[in-house]
Amino acid sequence: MPSVASTFVRILIGGLALLVAVGYKNYRDLGAPGKRPDLDNNAYWGPKLEGSYQEKKEISPYDISVAPEVIADLTAQLERPLKVQEPLEGIGFEYGFNAKELQRVVKYWRDSYLPKWNEREQFLKKLKHFQTEIQGLKIHFIHAKPKKAGGKKVVPLLLMHGWPGTVREFYDFIPLLTTGSDKSDYVFEVIAPSLPGYGWSQGAARPGLGVAQVSVVMRNLMLRLGFDKFLIQGGDWGSIIGSNLASLFPENVIGYHSNMCSNNSPMGSLRLLFSSFLPSFYIDSQYKEYYKGVSKMFLILMEEMGYAHIQATKPDTIGTALAHNPVGLAAYILEKFSTWTNPTYINLEDGGLTKHFNYDQLLDNVMIYYVTNSITTSQRLYAESMGSTQMALGVDSVPVKAPAGCTRFANEIFHVPDSVLANKFPNLVHSTHYPEGGHFPAFQVPQQLYEDYVAYVKKALG
Amino acid sequence: MRCLVIFGLIVGIFAAIVGYAYLVFTDLTRPLPKPDYNDNTYWGPGDGKNYVPDTKINEFKLNVPQAEIEDLRQQLNRTLKLTEPLDGIAFEYGFNTNALEQYVEYWREKYLTKWDERQAFLNSLKQYTTEIQGLKIHFIHERVSEEVATKKHVYPLLLLHGWPGSVREFYDFIPMLTKNQNISDYAFDVIAPSLVGFGWSDAATRVGFNAAEMATVMRNLMLRLGHKQFFVQGGDWGSIIGSNLATLYPENVLGYHSNMCVLSTPLSFLKGIYTNYFPQKVLVSRMFYDHHVPMWDKYLDLLKESGYFHIQATKPDTIGAALDTNPVGLAAYILEKFQTCSGPSLKQDFGGIATAFGLEAVLDNLMIYYLNNAATTAARFYAENVSKPYRDLQLDRVQTPVPMGCVRFRFDLPAASLWQLSDKYTNIKRNMYFQHGGHFAAMEMPSMLYNDFTAFVSNVYEE
Repeated sequence: MPSVASTFVRILIGGLALLVAVGYKNYRDLGAPGKRPDLDNNAYWGPKLEGSYQEKKEISPYDISVAPEVIADLTAQLERPLKVQEPLEGIGFEYGFNAKELQRVVKYWRDSYLPKWNEREQFLKKLKHFQTEIQGLKIHFIHAKPKKAGGKKVVPLLLMHGWPGTVREFYDFIPLLTTGSDKSDYVFEVIAPSLPGYGWSQGAARPGLGVAQVSVVMRNLMLRLGFDKFLIQGGDWGSIIGSNLASLFPENVIGYHSNMCSNNSPMGSLRLLFSSFLPSFYIDSQYKEYYKGVSKMFLILMEEMGYAHIQATKPDTIGTALAHNPVGLAAYILEKFSTWTNPTYINLEDGGLTKHFNYDQLLDNVMIYYVTNSITTSQRLYAESMGSTQMALGVDSVPVKAPAGCTRFANEIFHVPDSVLANKFPNLVHSTHYPEGGHFPAFQVPQQLYEDYVAYVKKALG
Repeated sequence: MRCLVIFGLIVGIFAAIVGYAYLVFTDLTRPLPKPDYNDNTYWGPGDGKNYVPDTKINEFKLNVPQAEIEDLRQQLNRTLKLTEPLDGIAFEYGFNTNALEQYVEYWREKYLTKWDERQAFLNSLKQYTTEIQGLKIHFIHERVSEEVATKKHVYPLLLLHGWPGSVREFYDFIPMLTKNQNISDYAFDVIAPSLVGFGWSDAATRVGFNAAEMATVMRNLMLRLGHKQFFVQGGDWGSIIGSNLATLYPENVLGYHSNMCVLSTPLSFLKGIYTNYFPQKVLVSRMFYDHHVPMWDKYLDLLKESGYFHIQATKPDTIGAALDTNPVGLAAYILEKFQTCSGPSLKQDFGGIATAFGLEAVLDNLMIYYLNNAATTAARFYAENVSKPYRDLQLDRVQTPVPMGCVRFRFDLPAASLWQLSDKYTNIKRNMYFQHGGHFAAMEMPSMLYNDFTAFVSNVYEE
């Protein structure tokens, strides 16, 4: 009898040891750098042509002036009786954009903002706008050269926005970047494009323009402007497009900084899961409130990602619902400026919109979507980037070789700890946390973002 | 000796784990008792302290002011530059804007021009309103004629629509139910209400109006009309509300028939996985396999089609604000569902909707949402039904002895199997599979639905 028991125990221990060894090897393999996929650096994204494509390489100044008919039609639409339903009793933003706040926004838009539209347009023209054609798409960008370099070193910087943002987010951030300060030995020559399909940049006419392909377009834009080596900064889609660019073109990227660093490789996802169960192994205790764990992440996913779900599956439907529909567009876009600036604002009747922003800057951002009629093309990026085709490229598993900086503003939707980022950013030189600020730091706390950015640049470039 | 002890310990730990797992399993899968439900909650404005129910039943006739039709025509005539579909794409990215432009033109130039005709058609079924628990409820009430009553057994029938449907779905179905048909011994006094927050019924102004409250209001509506016992038929939300009615008020329901028999419990989920790998052990015919398996493919399809559900369940006021102000947007959003549900061979076809449902019927239905500004209040129903208070009721785990019938149209959302349904419905009288048809059965093939429903009623009464 005892020998049966002892044999059984020995087999069990042997089997467990084998399992652990196999498991560990698979785990190590999972984290190994992936192979850089082959992408067509000259893929054509424009409408069908008769003959072959001849790219126009001129760079011309771009006039963002809005035709008066557009403003007139917009005013007429805002003058119609508002049909939105009263909010349920006692509800703030828990069911989405509160109708009472929407009434206030519409009234301001119609009675205060549009009458001074010329002023707003002049403000938007303060930064210099240009356009050039890349791979069949007319790409719009702001090009801001340093004013008073004053002996500081000038470095080119590609600055990328996300959804539902625009270049408008950077209007207080760019002047800080282009002006020498005692905080840094560097000033920056800033290229801030509208992403393809956003603002004044043309959207693709054929399927397939996902984040990896967008990063090819953005890299080609920088090359067109004569920048062989440049820095990248971005949040939201700008962060992901930036990390794609840095992964795919290490020869061009001298540094990558993001306020929303993420690691979507299999190892990253696995480590994120582990970090929820064993936070002490993965998270620095002094920052533990910043990292919410997988179950909270799942709740956030459910609660906040309805828009991403519909945009990733039916962009043309939701786009049509919002096109030429100023009231709907305002509600849909500004809802994010409430909840993503601070998740607790969901309980406020006004969504806390004016706690950090004023209606003028919020409406500037909405206007860019409205007057360029770009909502549908902006939403298609979700469909193109969240499918299996994009995942199969495996860019997520290709590490970013350049020195990386990740900053975390406390009220952002979700943060990823350094330990989880490790296999994607093996050269992480800068990692910071700030108790203020949310998803739109360039818009909300530009000075803080600037100071963090130059602190990163010092570590990255010396 | 030590090995014996370790062996014993391992066996002991294993037994403890198995025992614990069994306890958890039974706790998650045993049927739950029927909850006590308040059937008299006040849902009107204010706190209802001085609420005196108005039991009058008023006639209802649709009479849209001409100015409203003109305004709609103007809105449909705005020069909109909708984004061109991507090269080679039909409806894979959502509703094709080229197709939408054609539908909008038809709506503006042809449909609205004969609006008086459409309005008369909508008025061709008798309609009424009455106040239940503080809410005005609109409903169609079509009775069997005296002549038919002498030839058939007549029962009251509560017919419930869903989203993005309306009472319009039943305009071909109802006349079949009230007439003297050869194939059935039964005819029905049909009551088809607009759900609360839909059509011409009021909407709740407080949080909490979920599918259990809806079932309560609908049951009280039937009581108001003098029907203590009645049949219930529904698809989409109508099916879920009907199921809740049969669960909470079994004494009132003679039989519950559904064309979207879904069930969502831990046990049904486990049974679904088993069915996926061993369909031959669960389903009596190979013809039924496609309805249920492969499970992961069906989940993937559901994921592709449920963006609307996700946004309505979490941000109904946001999506509502986008749709309530904009008929073209509303058209894209609602027509997308009719397009997808027109069947696999038609769903990339520009004429899919017209072929499967008829353009007039679909536009009638769209008008009901537009005229009543119902996008927000309809969307809120989704949020109420994913909220914790509703989920905590766990009504899917409460059994009901009410006779139940299930018909599965081939291209509808995946339905539960008999094996799954039996956990909740202890008296299943009919269990059917059709190889055609989709989600909007009453609109697409009313005679098939009529056949199955009346066969179900026969099954209820045969010995």
